Amino acid sequence: MAQTAQQTISPKTEAAIILRAKGLRKSFRMGDTRIEVLKSVDLTIRQGEFIAIEGRSGSGKSTLLHLLGALDEADSGSIEFDGRDISTLGSTARSHLRNTQFGFVFQFYHLLPELNVLENTLLGPMIEYSWLSFRSHRSELRKRAVALLVQLGLEHRLKHKPSQISGGERQRVAIARALMNSPRVLFADEPTGNLDADTGRQIMSVLERLHRESAQTIIMVTHDRSLARQADRTLILKEGKLDRPADSAAPASAATA
Amino acid sequence: MYKLHLILKYLRKRRIAWVSLIAVMLCTTMVLVVISVMGGWLRMFRQSFHGLSGDVLVEADSLAGIPHYQEMIDKIQKLPEVEAAVPTIRTFGLINIANQLRKGVQVLGLPMDQIGKVNKFPESLHRQYQKYIDEGKKPPTPSFGLVPKVPYQLLAPNDKRALERPGMVVGVGVVGIHKDKNGKWVRPDWLYENWAKLTVVQVNPESAVLDLSKSQADTYYWIVDDSSTKVYQYDSQTVYVPFDILQRDLGMDQQQATNPNTGEKVTIPARTSDIQIKVKPGFDLVAVREKVGRIVDEVRKERNIGAYYPITVETWEESQKVWLGAIENEKSLVTFLFGLISIVAIFLIFCIFYMIVVEKTRDIGIIKSVGATSGGVAAIFLGYGTAIGIVGSGLGLLMGYLIVHNINYLHTELGRQLGIVIWNPEVYAFDIIPNTMNPIEVTVILSVAIVASILGALVPAIRAARMNPVESLRWE
Ligand SMILES: Nc1ncnc2c1ncn2[C@@H]1O[C@H](COP(=O)(O)OP(=O)(O)OP(=O)(O)O)[C@@H](O)[C@H]1O
Ligand SMILES: [Mg+2]
Repeated sequence: MAQTAQQTISPKTEAAIILRAKGLRKSFRMGDTRIEVLKSVDLTIRQGEFIAIEGRSGSGKSTLLHLLGALDEADSGSIEFDGRDISTLGSTARSHLRNTQFGFVFQFYHLLPELNVLENTLLGPMIEYSWLSFRSHRSELRKRAVALLVQLGLEHRLKHKPSQISGGERQRVAIARALMNSPRVLFADEPTGNLDADTGRQIMSVLERLHRESAQTIIMVTHDRSLARQADRTLILKEGKLDRPADSAAPASAATA
Repeated sequence: MYKLHLILKYLRKRRIAWVSLIAVMLCTTMVLVVISVMGGWLRMFRQSFHGLSGDVLVEADSLAGIPHYQEMIDKIQKLPEVEAAVPTIRTFGLINIANQLRKGVQVLGLPMDQIGKVNKFPESLHRQYQKYIDEGKKPPTPSFGLVPKVPYQLLAPNDKRALERPGMVVGVGVVGIHKDKNGKWVRPDWLYENWAKLTVVQVNPESAVLDLSKSQADTYYWIVDDSSTKVYQYDSQTVYVPFDILQRDLGMDQQQATNPNTGEKVTIPARTSDIQIKVKPGFDLVAVREKVGRIVDEVRKERNIGAYYPITVETWEESQKVWLGAIENEKSLVTFLFGLISIVAIFLIFCIFYMIVVEKTRDIGIIKSVGATSGGVAAIFLGYGTAIGIVGSGLGLLMGYLIVHNINYLHTELGRQLGIVIWNPEVYAFDIIPNTMNPIEVTVILSVAIVASILGALVPAIRAARMNPVESLRWE
């Protein structure tokens, strides 16, 4: 078993480093006291990797994901994306990064209630393009969005509002939206946390297939060990630091489980 | 792109957007109606008062009048700036109409054929102006000698000279002419078949020294026309009679008298109480007033006019300054109210937008997480504010227009159904509520409404733009 795991990991050790965090610190002020959520986090992620970050509730997993995805700023430490330090970028540059390089999937889907499924999927390009260039790219963007939604089994839900579809369907729309601009890194924060076990498995298999077929780099946060096992590599967030799991000598992979 | 799209979605789908739209609409309507009515009133005030007097006035400050006025008029009319100068007499009297109606009235003596050269009085006449206009005909030069509708000698068989009685024009309010609920004038049938006896009292500055026989005169007239100047003060209590007759009755015509002390024969010159002067367009009234003042002084010196004939020369604005001063005060009050209403409107929009931002906090986090910049988020709310401002003020314009143009009807209905009368003509000087809109005022009001909507959205927009995406997403 260790052998097969070694085989799947080894080609990736040669792949380019896409994200590297060093000495990340983040604390929140709560009245007079400060909660040190992340004390010193170091992390290296290679292109095409599927990473799971595991930890107890309140351990700071979401916080870490937000820092890596340029949604929030660390108190200190650095984050390199593609060899470039992104922790010092201004807010517009960070927005652009989120729009074109990163994709987010959240536990609570976070779709816009006024827009239908197709429009929600198109949100990224809507933000990226000006009104005129969106119009000129409209049909090709629409095609891509529809194709993504079809892949995710949502072909009959294009005109539905988020309130008119199920939780699993909403999460698939959120995935389609995150994939719309072909992100270099897909961040998923407990993507199955709000779903029943069956639906959760469906979502996991979507992510797994993306990783396998399109070599999508995925960083997923979860507190469910069995889900974490489906990733290439699992890291555990504990007391503000990232650790290898105790059984790191034999990381399980979905393929062999 | 997403901005436009989201704005359209929000505007159509959110009930709160309709609330703010209606708020903007109501504010715009309210301001439009108030400003149109008040502004229209102020304009009407000026127009009507100006319409009844010449541009420059020579006025006697006592009932004694202005002697040697014809000489003054001749000289004034030679001024290149002057189009015409016409004498008028103003006094008070008692009227008795066919023993049916007796009351005290203001009496104006006019040379009817000339008065149209200096002011717009002829346009107030019913039979000799308004009727022609209604029938699309050109009105004639008005006169007091209108062809009688009935053979007047039959009405007064004992008076051989019944036909020679002069004509009198009455203010509509004097004889109870009024508008019905549809706004049509209602005239008593008997109006133009009746005599009116007018009693005036002579006031002569020299009566103390000179022996002047009569001091009171009664004259019978036929009522030949009625006048609606729209100035309540005139329409409710003024009658208009021929200049010569009033002058004679008041003893203001040229008279011979004997000084009882010296036995000397003296000639008292004819007098008038005002000279109304029409100035050619484009000339400064104050400069013309100065020139007229010099002519008056000149004649006063040449003719040795005594100090007991006080005379002033004023522009029409100066002569109405009590009224116009009130107008200026009214104007500042309106401006103040307008400012207050605008602040209320801005605050209202601010509150609504603030609520929308709070309600939409998570959405803001979502679009930021997908890469919207702070500027983009601010633009959504500002665009939203602009859209609400434009649509709301547009609807406000429509509603304001409908209200203002039907305001007299609405007011009459209000009075009839609920007994509420807001517009009292005795207070506001006019019998109808102004119902016109000034395009400049409308433009200003609409612009302010749109700017106010943007301003109201500005603070919430900045707040939305500044929000940390992570905290927005955590928002419950
Ligand atoms: N904006 C904030 N202000 C104050 N405290 C915060 C803030 N954000 C996070 N925290 C605190 O930081 C800690 C970590 O929060 P975080 O959401 O990262 O945990 P998590 O590991 O994602 O938990 P869960 O599994 O429940 O999602 C928590 O104790 C939380 O209370
Ligand atoms: Mg979390």
